[in-house]
Amino acid sequence: MSPSPCEEFSKHLESWLEESHDPVMEAHVRSCARCNALVEDLGAIRATAFEWAYPEDEPSPSLWTSLRAQLEAEGLIHVQTTSWWDRLTSWVPSSSRPVLAGAYVAILVAVAFAISGPGESRLDRQLWLQSAENTSQPLQQDLDLAEQATVSTLPQSNSPVTASLQKNLAVVDNYIVLCEKSVRDDPQDEVAREYLFDAYQQKADLLAVMSERGDYEQ
Amino acid sequence: MAQQGDAAAFERLYQLHNRRVYSLCLRMVGNTAEAEDLTQEAFLQLFRKISTFRGESAFSTWLHRLAVNVVLMRLRKKSAAETSLEEVTEPDEESGGPRRDFGGPDLQLTGSIDRVNLQRAVEQLPPGYKAVFVLHDVQGFEHNEIAEIMNCSIGNSKSQLHKARMRLRELLQETLRDKAREDRKAAGAASGGEE
Repeated sequence: MSPSPCEEFSKHLESWLEESHDPVMEAHVRSCARCNALVEDLGAIRATAFEWAYPEDEPSPSLWTSLRAQLEAEGLIHVQTTSWWDRLTSWVPSSSRPVLAGAYVAILVAVAFAISGPGESRLDRQLWLQSAENTSQPLQQDLDLAEQATVSTLPQSNSPVTASLQKNLAVVDNYIVLCEKSVRDDPQDEVAREYLFDAYQQKADLLAVMSERGDYEQ
Repeated sequence: MAQQGDAAAFERLYQLHNRRVYSLCLRMVGNTAEAEDLTQEAFLQLFRKISTFRGESAFSTWLHRLAVNVVLMRLRKKSAAETSLEEVTEPDEESGGPRRDFGGPDLQLTGSIDRVNLQRAVEQLPPGYKAVFVLHDVQGFEHNEIAEIMNCSIGNSKSQLHKARMRLRELLQETLRDKAREDRKAAGAASGGEE
């Protein structure tokens, strides 16, 4: 006994739903209410499923925090800890000014001294102070040079921004002098060395801002 | 970089794929807390195994394979725990669970399906059908991708999808019949109250 047209259609249903329509089957679907309803129902399910995909749901932000904690606990991820050298080199701006770049390099060397600190013995302390002295003198020259070069690029106008930048530079210079003195007085004082580090960073940032402003205004 | 355990690279991968993986989990389990739990488990598996990823398949396919496995394992564990002895009298070929008998005339579904009742019906599908349906009809994966994700043949993926849709139709028709019965009851009660 040959299969009924409905049984025959059910065999072709999958390909039918993938848009591959056989003319004989098409004629059957048009004439058969049951197969027609089946095709329409499956089409409606597909359409609703498609709509269901949007908008895409988002998990709560705490999920990453919890996942990260688990990954750390399992030792699967390692957080990049920033070394003092990375912190220092991250200061160097992408400046095309050789004088400013030179000053940055000098600052790096000086700060490397400031952060490293002397050893425990008296001899270490003296050596460190001597080295710090040797480092800070050329640094002062480089910084002065960088400062002159940067300030010369600033507009001659008495704009409030320029005046404020120059005032801030003077404040930072004073601050550096104070920090250097504190470090000399007590080279073991980590807080003083940390303050000196921040002071150099502030000066470097300020010179970069002033330099950019000079470029912009010219 | 993620293969070397770089935290920032892991976070980037998570940010790129978390919505899609979470959506898949949510559509398969229908519960936000459980979907988050499964998403976390899927990403944990991913990061545990990331060093073994060789790029033989697309990264997204590989991630979805992990996610689907995590969800299927949870669903199968759950259904094994929830299935009572008398329910296993007529095991269903896919789920091993009971096959429901759907009586009554066929009701036309067009115009009466919405997201809510589709979601309810999907929740009642056996895990394998559910996975193929969500991957193909909701998330838009092709059969060759689903075959890779589910580790089956393309033919198997097509046949599972077809069965899933047919089962969904039955479930949705049953919902319609239930609703029609309730409406009739409510109408009867209202007219009885008037007399």
